[in-house]
Amino acid sequence: MSELTVTVDGTTVAVPAGATALDAARAAGRWVPTLCFDARQAPFGACRACLVGVEGAANPLPACTTRCREGMAIDTEDPAARRVAHAVVELVLSELPRAPAPDTELAQVAQRLGVGAPRWPGETHAPADPDVRHPYLAFQHELCISCGRCVRACDELQGTFALTATGRGFHANVAAGLDEGFRASACVACGACADTCPTDAITEVSLLP
Amino acid sequence: MTEPTITTTCGYCGVGCRLEAHPRDGAIASISPALDGPANLGHTCLKGRFAHRFARHRERLTAPLIRDGRGGPARAAGWDEAVERIVAELGRIRAAHGPDAIAGLASSRATNEDCYAMQRMMRAVIGTNNIDNCSRVCHSPTSFALRKALGLSGATGSFADFDHAGATILIGANPTEGHPVVGARIKQATLRGMRLVTIDPRRIELADYGVLHLAPRPGANAAVMLGIAHVLERDGFVDREFVSARTEGFDALLELLPSYTPEAVEAISGVPAADLERAAHIYGAAENACISWGLGVTEHKYGSEVVQLICDVALMTGKIGRPGSALLPLRGQNNVQGSSDMGALPDTYTAYRSVADEQVARSFEAAWGVPLSRTKGYTIPQMFDAAVAGELKAMYIFGEDVAQTDPNTAHVVHALESLDFLVCQDIFETETTKYADVILPASSFLEKSGTFTNAERRVQLVAPALDPPGEARTDFEIIKVVSAALGHELPWSTPADAMDEIAALTPDWAGISHARLGRHGLQWPVAPDGTDAPILYEREFAREGGRAHFAALPYKAPGDAADEEFPLILVTGRRLQHYNAGTMTRRTGNVELVDADVLEIHPDDAARLWISDGDRISVRSRVGRIELPAHVTDRIERGHVFTTFHFPETRTNLLVGASADVNTSCPEYKVVAVDVRPIGEQPARVPALA
Repeated sequence: MSELTVTVDGTTVAVPAGATALDAARAAGRWVPTLCFDARQAPFGACRACLVGVEGAANPLPACTTRCREGMAIDTEDPAARRVAHAVVELVLSELPRAPAPDTELAQVAQRLGVGAPRWPGETHAPADPDVRHPYLAFQHELCISCGRCVRACDELQGTFALTATGRGFHANVAAGLDEGFRASACVACGACADTCPTDAITEVSLLP
Repeated sequence: MTEPTITTTCGYCGVGCRLEAHPRDGAIASISPALDGPANLGHTCLKGRFAHRFARHRERLTAPLIRDGRGGPARAAGWDEAVERIVAELGRIRAAHGPDAIAGLASSRATNEDCYAMQRMMRAVIGTNNIDNCSRVCHSPTSFALRKALGLSGATGSFADFDHAGATILIGANPTEGHPVVGARIKQATLRGMRLVTIDPRRIELADYGVLHLAPRPGANAAVMLGIAHVLERDGFVDREFVSARTEGFDALLELLPSYTPEAVEAISGVPAADLERAAHIYGAAENACISWGLGVTEHKYGSEVVQLICDVALMTGKIGRPGSALLPLRGQNNVQGSSDMGALPDTYTAYRSVADEQVARSFEAAWGVPLSRTKGYTIPQMFDAAVAGELKAMYIFGEDVAQTDPNTAHVVHALESLDFLVCQDIFETETTKYADVILPASSFLEKSGTFTNAERRVQLVAPALDPPGEARTDFEIIKVVSAALGHELPWSTPADAMDEIAALTPDWAGISHARLGRHGLQWPVAPDGTDAPILYEREFAREGGRAHFAALPYKAPGDAADEEFPLILVTGRRLQHYNAGTMTRRTGNVELVDADVLEIHPDDAARLWISDGDRISVRSRVGRIELPAHVTDRIERGHVFTTFHFPETRTNLLVGASADVNTSCPEYKVVAVDVRPIGEQPARVPALA
């Protein structure tokens, strides 16, 4: 396979043709914040947390969906990109009724970006009891950030298509089947959704707080 | 405080998923997939990920048990007493009746090192080749046929070949339930455009993702494969160059094929001639294609012959030995490949080398320092026959519940009752341990180190995340202690040392060591420099002369057939939520999802028999009778019924008779003529209307 040479924060790396700016950054050992990205799934490019500066581009570009070109220069710490990532994560957090558990991906990205308590005290999702109708898989709908990773894991990794994105805007969430819970849906309990969820909106019953 | 995460290999099916186990306070808090697992690519199923609670179940055996009188209660005992009892009884029986009056079973759920230790103990200290493992009752026909046709007893490629194949024939396997992570991988391949042909009496889930489903009568697989070969030859799909350069025996197959026209095969199998032609064209026209199969092929009277015919189809089209063209048997249990590779078989040492091979036997004699028998031992069914006949006096059964899983249960129980002495080594009491004189408390896969070999021949490390509960010990330790007490020290302190001995004595494993296996394992054969073999037979086959061998084997009728008294054909299989005898999964949350075996029956048959969904029904075969609830579904064809054997209260295998594969004695679990009726109805049939 042919290779491309790109630079990431001044370091030169070789990547295979077809690699993304995120692949290149990771190959160079540089961190790029991500929320909707999972290496097991096709890049989605929805959350805009992974913006990077690219030499010659007018605005920051999403690293997960931007393909490398020969000689491309990537700046993972582009100030505009970082400002946007910070705002994205802060906005996402502002909708949650409580801070996500410290071991979740969202909490870790927020910590690394230095995002503290959100400055926008608007409406948050209403806290609810977890949906534990299934012996293993639980929903905590109020923690859903609509990244779509669970739906794509069910489609692209498992192939069961049991999960669906529901609602719009602030009310966007996820449902199993016709919002009937995991057990009554087509779910085969592979757990790929819980594994990929960055907030524990889907988690294991035995790991609920 | 977070405890360290342990990367290990799943102890459920033969896919070999790499797992990250997260222990907390002496139990498993959670299990997640290893993102770099080569077989699972960051995925798992509900068994591997969630069904781990059995490891700390209150029914775990935590101390040795001794039964002082047959049928009496078992009492807890110390290890010393239990081992002394074993030594005294086996010593007495060996002295009175000779070494061949004792037999052992190794466990296909245990590690390679455990199984190697077990066969060494039986051979070196007892002095018998009476050692077998449960691959006898699942894929022994696959092993036999692949060795005969191609040379080595293993898949010719890897699961990755599904990703590169243009088409796949899946026959007699239901991967979305039995091998869920491979099932998901096949699904994804079909969604990307792979043309899947499913062949099974039941309309399995993957049939909905394929382009064609064939539903042959149970026992008609040979006719179907011969029909496909007929059409491939007739319509110009034979790779003449490959056949002449790399194979032998094609002419004999050519002589056989004219009788297997699609119309003739339709008459035998019930598969419409046009569908058969289409299946052959889909396979033949793909540049690369795989054939994958499971127990629906092997567990038949002529199962080993059907696997040879599958090899014929791949060989005549040259679809073997390159990426995307592979023969991929789906091995059942986590280490059913490895337990056989390790020589836990009555006729072979490691890597399937005959016990009668003088040079091989001498190499083991030199290493172990004892004389070894050149005579083949008993297979599992032969062990039970010999026990009933009074020739076999003692058994040491390690990690297998023969009284629930083996066919002809009444005969198995009779055999166990006939023994003078039975040792069981297990993690729970089972149907089999009811007959044991000594029960040794052993370890689950979450508590041991060693290696498992998956269905791709990939040897992968197993690492302990928990300690064995109570006085339970690892199987490796137990076998070491018992062997030493019997008079033969196994000279290893860890399983890694045992692997070094295996590598030293087994050319195909020469390059394997625990240190070298790392996170991703190695696919045997592994050269001394560590080069492994994701694809076999790229240049030559592993037979003398390097050529593959075509089998010219006609279709023959199965061992059982429907008749007036037993008008339906029962097929047994598995469900996603449970695993084999259910000893593990029945002790997890999986029982909340599925809590009983049910009999699947077609709506037309159900209506005719006045059976409604959920009714409790009686199922009677020529050898036994069971009761269970009915599930009315059109997943199954008319004339066939289906059930599982996950629950001991059902005892499905009471129904299965003694019919078995002609070459390997693998039982014919998949064709059992039965009579089904609502409970309470008299067994006499209503007279036929004039």
